[in-house]
Amino acid sequence: MSNGRLKKIVIDPITRIEGHLRIEIEIDEENVVREAWASGQLFRGIEVILKGRDPRDVGLIAQRICGVCTNVHYRASIAAVEDAYGIVPPPNAEIIRNLVTLSLFVQDHIIHFYHLHSLDYVDIVSALEADVAKAEEVAKRYHSYPYRSSVGHFSSLKEKLASFVKAGRLGLFANGYWGHDAYRLTPEENLVLINHYFEALRVQRVLSKAVAIFAGKTPHPQNLVVGGVTSVADMLNPQRLNDYMFIMKDTRDFIERAYIPDMQLLVEAYNQEMKEGVGRGSGNFMAAGGYRLASGTVLFENGVIYRHDFEHIESFDDDHITEEASRSWYEENGPTSPYDESTVPFYTDLNDDGSLKTEGKYSWVKAPRYKNEPMEVGPAARMIIGYLKDSTIIKPAVEAFMEETGMELIDFSSTIGRNAARAVEAKICCETIFDFCSDLIENIKYYDEETWTKYEFETLPKSAQGRGIHEVPRGVLAHFVKIEESRVCNYQAVVPTTWNASPKDAKGIRGPYEESLIGIHLADPTKPLEVLRVVHSFDPCLACAVHIVDTKGRKVSEYRVATACSL
Amino acid sequence: MRIVIIGGGIAGAHAANTIMEREKGHEVVILSAERYPPYDRIHLCRLVDGSAALEDILLELHPDVNVELNQRVLSIEPEEKKVVTENALFGYDKLIIATGSKPKTLFDIGGIENAATFRSADDSFKIAKGIKGRNVIISGVGPIGLELLDTLVKMPDPKRMFLLSRGAHLYDRALNPMAVAWISEIFEADPRVTISYHDEIVERKIEGNRLATIVTKHHTIDDPFLIFGVGITPNVDFARGVLEVDRGILVDETMRTSDPDIYAVGEAAQLRSDGFVAGRVRESTQEADVAVANILGIESERFEHEPAIDGLKVGAFLFTDVSSPKYDPRDPENEDIIIESRKEKRVDQYIVNDDRLRRFIGLNSNVDVMELKRIMEKDEPVDPTFFYHSRKVGERGRLVCSCTGTYEFDLVELIKENAVTRFAELKGLTEAGRVCGRCKQDIVDLIAKTPVDPEEAARIRAEKEAAREAAEMEKIRKRIEKFNRLHPKNRITTENLEEAIKALDMNREYNRWVSMITASMRLSPRHEELVDQAIRQLNKIPIVWLELADCTGNSTAFIKTAQPKITDLILNYISLDYHDLLMAAAGDQSERTLDSIVENEKEGFVLIVEGAVPLGMEGKYLRIGPKGETGIELLKRVAGSAAAVLAVGTCALDGGVVAAEPNPTGAVGVSEALERDDVIHLPGCPVNPANVVGTLIYYIMFDEIPELDEKRRPKWAYSYRIHDNCERRGHYDLEEFVLEWGDEGAKQGWCLFKMGCKGPYADLNCPQVKFNEGTSWPVQAGHGCIACGEGKIAFDLYANERPLEEEAENE
Repeated sequence: MSNGRLKKIVIDPITRIEGHLRIEIEIDEENVVREAWASGQLFRGIEVILKGRDPRDVGLIAQRICGVCTNVHYRASIAAVEDAYGIVPPPNAEIIRNLVTLSLFVQDHIIHFYHLHSLDYVDIVSALEADVAKAEEVAKRYHSYPYRSSVGHFSSLKEKLASFVKAGRLGLFANGYWGHDAYRLTPEENLVLINHYFEALRVQRVLSKAVAIFAGKTPHPQNLVVGGVTSVADMLNPQRLNDYMFIMKDTRDFIERAYIPDMQLLVEAYNQEMKEGVGRGSGNFMAAGGYRLASGTVLFENGVIYRHDFEHIESFDDDHITEEASRSWYEENGPTSPYDESTVPFYTDLNDDGSLKTEGKYSWVKAPRYKNEPMEVGPAARMIIGYLKDSTIIKPAVEAFMEETGMELIDFSSTIGRNAARAVEAKICCETIFDFCSDLIENIKYYDEETWTKYEFETLPKSAQGRGIHEVPRGVLAHFVKIEESRVCNYQAVVPTTWNASPKDAKGIRGPYEESLIGIHLADPTKPLEVLRVVHSFDPCLACAVHIVDTKGRKVSEYRVATACSL
Repeated sequence: MRIVIIGGGIAGAHAANTIMEREKGHEVVILSAERYPPYDRIHLCRLVDGSAALEDILLELHPDVNVELNQRVLSIEPEEKKVVTENALFGYDKLIIATGSKPKTLFDIGGIENAATFRSADDSFKIAKGIKGRNVIISGVGPIGLELLDTLVKMPDPKRMFLLSRGAHLYDRALNPMAVAWISEIFEADPRVTISYHDEIVERKIEGNRLATIVTKHHTIDDPFLIFGVGITPNVDFARGVLEVDRGILVDETMRTSDPDIYAVGEAAQLRSDGFVAGRVRESTQEADVAVANILGIESERFEHEPAIDGLKVGAFLFTDVSSPKYDPRDPENEDIIIESRKEKRVDQYIVNDDRLRRFIGLNSNVDVMELKRIMEKDEPVDPTFFYHSRKVGERGRLVCSCTGTYEFDLVELIKENAVTRFAELKGLTEAGRVCGRCKQDIVDLIAKTPVDPEEAARIRAEKEAAREAAEMEKIRKRIEKFNRLHPKNRITTENLEEAIKALDMNREYNRWVSMITASMRLSPRHEELVDQAIRQLNKIPIVWLELADCTGNSTAFIKTAQPKITDLILNYISLDYHDLLMAAAGDQSERTLDSIVENEKEGFVLIVEGAVPLGMEGKYLRIGPKGETGIELLKRVAGSAAAVLAVGTCALDGGVVAAEPNPTGAVGVSEALERDDVIHLPGCPVNPANVVGTLIYYIMFDEIPELDEKRRPKWAYSYRIHDNCERRGHYDLEEFVLEWGDEGAKQGWCLFKMGCKGPYADLNCPQVKFNEGTSWPVQAGHGCIACGEGKIAFDLYANERPLEEEAENE
């Protein structure tokens, strides 16, 4: 692959994501990407820290894997321990957990699109030239009552932005790729979207109140315990549920009148790229499914698809998951089952100029594989699989969006498509929340106030293993725990971004980020906006992706929680 | 709404005025049993000696209040919502009973020409007329009796005066004997006066409608005029059988009676909870405020006891009486501490119980009674040496008005400064003398004896104004200096101060925030014009936010800030120049931004660091930027140029969860990594955004960092122990614990200590500010605290769901 005419570009940091991600690409003379490397640049070793702990304590620590996907690690970790011990939390606890996770889904998707991603498409400087009357017309093209999009509203926003820009200090917006050729929107379209950028700042703030109602706070909620949830008083307080539902109603309004229409606008403006398949990966998709309503319906279907073969869907089975590290900074190359991974950091450093040693190990992210294949996970995978499995929840919503925009199913496998899938998913999640609320009300109505399944820790088996597997905003999350002597002896988290940001494996097969970058054309290699678009469309979360490891020579059995403090 | 008030005393009149002030559109009717419009009983003595006419002591009433005189209420009919008086019927939507008290007598004096109580204007007139040439007997030595005697001795009319005390006391049983002796002495300096102790009426001769002779244990008095001052009892007979009545009409803390539409206030009301009956003006008006607020639904206020302050001037004596609601005169544990000066005829009597100050009675005392009130409110053990040291007059002189806390010195200043010659001219300058009215005469006297000169007054005012302006200018100068330091490229000149003030005047919007961290701080009083837009934009503080070994939780929390909203914050107040999570730029572009700030704005930006600093493997567990700089290298480079470094979140404090055992990456906190001791710590996992924003605002406002504790955490946020401020603390005290997740206690919100709550080991303001706009916090969510702000120890010791002891036993 190495070729004298190819030019190497390093993009570090990739901002507007969680964590420390580097992308390196090689482009040819036509500025087309020929090879790509995705590299996680931070190692913290949370899983090492979990070893030797009381299994009941892992949730609160595992949660700290990530402050953006906050809650999902808490939940998956607790679920893994419950699975190991065969403890089944009561239905109410499961519903409360779902209400928290699903409101986080919605919040994450909104923040991702508007605050972490939209500036790749929206030129804030161009918005200043917008004609406010025309902007209102533009907004009305996609919804009869567009969200806060009157001439008056636009005028005041424009004035605010103008004074901000005039003042010279652009703060967060400084040094963006403003004026870049790849920006395709008209000034009016830019204004329509940037308007919702600011509105969404408020929406996400209010949404976090919904999360906090049952979870105590966010980020890093504190309402889960092995066996159930603690927020029973909030659950039984009708005012709390009412507040929760009202916030979700307002959010639904925002999704319907802003998020979905904005996405339709984007799909229309970037239709050509989407149809050309810009940002398309290998076509392997995976979903674990889940979120079961009392009626038996599940929100997400499970399934595995290979190479865009929409005719054949396999059922998902977590036994086929392995991780390997032949190109990652760990000693043992694998592949191994997550339960048995016992790897040691083996840092081979960067080149002297600070670039990746792309021929060898180059990332703290491991390479997870399903039946030895890399897999793309996330909203696009879930929407495609749900559609193909005739999900009564997903299929009608996807169909409606395709009808509005002229999209086909294959189009979801692209940079724009991933975003469209995410928007549709936000809408579905928001709606399903009300069904879970109904289930909860129904239970409480018939005096089911149980929120915790009782167990005596001392009588639980001393050795056990289990896993917690959930769909979370960025894809499939799996936590694996192995318990010996009533202490955690091994812990692994295979998270969505591990799948998507995976480096190459022993066979040189690229991970989804890398694969999706191949063939991208850069208008200006010094401003690699197109690369950001592809990577952002996956909604990367690197803190989650890097974990693992046992430090060299350390005996796990020697470790114990310090308690001698005489406080 | 038609609101009927029974009773034209101070509580009733106050209630009527308050309704009018608070909400327009209500019809308010006062039913008074008297034939005079509402007047102020405090000044009845002045009717006796003729120094005032009734018109002079009338209470101010809002012009729209209807007053129905001569309406003695016979009964109320709650079913019909009607009040029945001797000659009419009044319908109401809400009823306030403020009928006050009636005076007690030792025998029936109805129809007797030369005997009276001392409660009403008519009583005063009767006394004034009846005492001429007679031997006056005052039965009762309480404040009312003493005040009346004090009035009478100044009059030539009485032939002789007898004051009968059943015991050996005057004023109050608690008053110490030395004070009693002095008071006796001063009254008996008038040969007409006899104070007779251990005495009472044993026989009376009545001729027709006249008392001919009164025989007491020690005296036989002919041609008497008898005045009873032996106490009062709530005037509530008309309500018995209709409402729940004990001594007074029983009310809850909102002053509501057993009928939801009827309230009772003042001396007629008795609190159901503790039997309290108001006796002082301030208590009565407070109760009226509470009742009105609840009737109008404006807010659900509750009546709360506070220490009461009373004053009484008797002859050469000035009584000061401060009494805690916890004072129980019958408690045998009460002890007296007395400091007396024979020379100054001064007695400071402190009544303490369990080392706490319960009451203070001062005779010609110089003590600052507002300070005593504060001590009682704090209810903490006191050091008696403090009493000795504070016996002399404070620099502000004696307290004249206890309702408004106004001292003599302040009043004299005001009088001089404004050349005040009449009480009415003080209106608008101070409320002193206008609340309960007791000290009004005192202030009138003060005005009379304070010489004023309009020219001198003008000069004083000008001088004060100039001093204030100079202080203001000094502040502005400092602010400009700071501005120029932070914005080296956009300097503001100090030469044209007027312009500069305008440019810097951001009071309006700042004030909202500042109230969050400090009462208020006004930079310039002359904010007539709106702030100049462009300069306002420049007046922002550049922020660089670095993420190191973190989870982005603190950033995520930060964008959820509500006070101010994140939009306002980033557009108007701070310039978030580098922030991984939100910034538009990436790669080369973002790093160029950072390099430019570090090089060009030395000491001109605030650095916020989130995450731990991994030092293991030469720091290579974290690499940032195209050149692969390690986290520690980057941190050192940027921190070296920053004006201040804020370490947010627990990881930045000491490594946090990243440094938990066995600390795989050798992670440390920001201070340790930088080897600096001037980093400000804002721990929490994540830190509450209110604490970050509060600290930033403080820095912008005052150009200095807030006061820090020994861990270098701002005291305003980190000096509260969670356990002490916890909403479930009451259950801890009652030993009501959650014992199992989801049990009945959990449903009731009981204490989580036994479920491993670490609130007792954590100093943070979570219970006060909560999270996500005050929605909840871990304890509210039923989980308990994990002391996440205490550092990595939280994850090695606290972050589990068992109490510490149990864990220790298991190990």
